[in-house]
Amino acid sequence: MKKKRLGSKKKTQSNFAKLSIFQPNKYKFKKSCPLSVKGAPIVDYKNIRLLKKYMSENGKISPSRITNISQKKQRELSLSIKRARNLALI
Amino acid sequence: MNLYEHTIVARQDTSPSQIVQLTEKYSKIVEKNEGDVVQTQDWGLLHLAYVIKKNRKGNYIHFKIKGNGKVIKELEKNESIDKNLLRYMTVRVKKFDLEANYFKKNEDTVNKTQRKRY
Repeated sequence: MKKKRLGSKKKTQSNFAKLSIFQPNKYKFKKSCPLSVKGAPIVDYKNIRLLKKYMSENGKISPSRITNISQKKQRELSLSIKRARNLALI
Repeated sequence: MNLYEHTIVARQDTSPSQIVQLTEKYSKIVEKNEGDVVQTQDWGLLHLAYVIKKNRKGNYIHFKIKGNGKVIKELEKNESIDKNLLRYMTVRVKKFDLEANYFKKNEDTVNKTQRKRY
């Protein structure tokens, strides 16, 4: 029964639902983009260690909804990953 | 005038003296076409992520070039013929960061930290 109720809440998520005390914490807080913060590393095709963080083990680019990267930085990332692939660095 | 980053990958069996020759050859071409080589970096022998023309490793050489688009045209024309090279790539940038060398510094520090951890 509980599971069903939670499911219905997710679908009809209003502003009130976010504020309610009974909601789990993950609805209240939203993670910010780790590359847009002050002092964040520069996205570059030479910085392989940074690029490998945002790729799967098979070498695929991981989606931004999982890594919480902003749209602008995700575009930069994908471009520099493709450059590094061309040079056979990744 | 534009700023370019230019990287070339040479075969695994090129000798160190040949690599010096290659860097001299291409920096001469740049200077002939009214360009300027700001910095050259030798990244050394690195593992390729996949096999290119039966090569598992490659010698990476990195140039930072200031010049017109004509320079790059001339460079890539010569590099496409060269049999010692596997790949070349140019990227136009707005600013050079001359301090960061991701390959030389990292190799020593990474290896040491990894050994400590295990």
